[in-house]
Amino acid sequence: MNIIETKKLTKFYGKTMGITNLDLTIHEGEIFGFIGPNGAGKSTTIRTLLGLIYPTSGSATIFGKDIIKFGPEIKEEIGYLPSEVFYYDNMKVIDLLKYSGSFYKKDSKIISKRIRELAKYLDLDLKKKIDDLSYGNKKKVGIIQGLLHEPKLIILDEPTGGLDPLMQQRFFDLLRDENKKGVTILFSSHILNEVQKLCDRVAIIKDGKIIKVDTIRSLAENTHKRFKLETAVRVDKSRFTGIKGISDLVITDNSVSFLFRGHINEITKIIASINLTNMLVEEPDLEEIFMHYYV
Amino acid sequence: MNIFWQELRFYRRTTIIWMVAFAVGIFCYMSMFTAFSHDVSQSMKLLQGFPPAVRAALGIRIESFFTILGFFGYMLTYLWLIGGIQAMNLGTGILSKEISGKTADFLLSKPISRFKVITSKLAAALVIIFLTNIVFVASSYFSAMTFKTKDFDTNIFALTCLTMLFVQLFFLSLGFLISVLVPKIKSVLAFSLPIVFGFFIIGMLDTIIGAENARYLTPFKYFDVGYIATHSAYELRFILTEVVFVFFCIIASYVIYIRKDIQAPA
Repeated sequence: MNIIETKKLTKFYGKTMGITNLDLTIHEGEIFGFIGPNGAGKSTTIRTLLGLIYPTSGSATIFGKDIIKFGPEIKEEIGYLPSEVFYYDNMKVIDLLKYSGSFYKKDSKIISKRIRELAKYLDLDLKKKIDDLSYGNKKKVGIIQGLLHEPKLIILDEPTGGLDPLMQQRFFDLLRDENKKGVTILFSSHILNEVQKLCDRVAIIKDGKIIKVDTIRSLAENTHKRFKLETAVRVDKSRFTGIKGISDLVITDNSVSFLFRGHINEITKIIASINLTNMLVEEPDLEEIFMHYYV
Repeated sequence: MNIFWQELRFYRRTTIIWMVAFAVGIFCYMSMFTAFSHDVSQSMKLLQGFPPAVRAALGIRIESFFTILGFFGYMLTYLWLIGGIQAMNLGTGILSKEISGKTADFLLSKPISRFKVITSKLAAALVIIFLTNIVFVASSYFSAMTFKTKDFDTNIFALTCLTMLFVQLFFLSLGFLISVLVPKIKSVLAFSLPIVFGFFIIGMLDTIIGAENARYLTPFKYFDVGYIATHSAYELRFILTEVVFVFFCIIASYVIYIRKDIQAPA
């Protein structure tokens, strides 16, 4: 089942483009990464899905229901954590979370129990005033308010800012646990490392358009690989000339490194003719893949 | 209903301050009636010293100033001004604070329609205005009863007091409309004060100029205390003007709010 499906979703802010003809399908139970630099259209997509802004054209469904017609019904099962969290400063954390919980049909006792569990897990003092919290602790409030009603879909828009590495790890563990229960996660970020750690599939967005959707594994496999050869003697550059798919070639006295994209047998034939002392073949990380699409 | 109750909690302290200010202010002012009515001829001489245009602009009617209703009616113009500021602040702030406080994303990502959000907020604002008016009427009546020198017509007094509700509804609905039209209101007071004072000044100028049709321009001129005292009623044409204005503002606010994009907090 598709949890999120957009068809030619387009949003213009006046004459300025936000997103154009966005076709995106997110399946039930997957952790879907949404990557792109600031201004690429990630937040516009998310805000449109949440009904905070209206599409200029195109359509989108969540849980098979139109996002505009069934907005409130859909949001019953969505947990949202924005990149920057803002709450009512004069409220106590517990009051804000209870207020947040009061919007959902779930039993208030179950929600209260869930608030206490999550607060304990994230080490958050519920009695403090929002105004007295550090940014990281406000982010924890954001995480709890996004998860307290046990949503079926969690939408995260650059969620880790302000969280220390330990808390980031706990947060990721929490997301993985939710995912194991069948929860679908849309994880938008420009921090590629965290997307790589967490996500199954990823969409790369550039200038408001999706330019690639694939599994992280497939992206890594089908793009270039980095070869690092340690050699007994200096290798002549001419050995690599004329071979398709080689780039970023660097030769020193005892090493050769290059990026390769193509048929693996072609390159292994060349390597076999070199007197090697060691060889490394590395999958590119998401950052390298990302740069490949962006530069 | 959760938004409704939450808004009442948010505005609890401010509303109490407004109510106390009204009650204390009215009581203090009305307490001066004893002094004015003690020596009518002396006080009358003092008021007659003012040029007629100034008296008209300030709303002083010598013929009724020395009755408790007339004395109260004189101050009413200024109470409307204060009440207008309260209502305008409330109308402008209750929706726009979600944008200026950057909490709109929190609220509107919850499973609730924008129609319900705006209705809950409007309902809360109306309750605050009604509660303020109950205190206003009660404290006015108590003060009048305490400092009266003769009996007065309570029906006319009640009608006179209720004008505050109409003036506040005018500014509440105007504030509501402004809050959805202006993308981001950083300071509610900086918006509401000039607007309310603007209407007040139009009212003062209208009194000096004496153009009858200009009365439609400002709610401060919709209610003539002299007319109410004579007819025991409001002027229907201005009540209709107000009703049309209030409905227009509220309906337009709903339409705009439901359709508008909520921009990301910057």
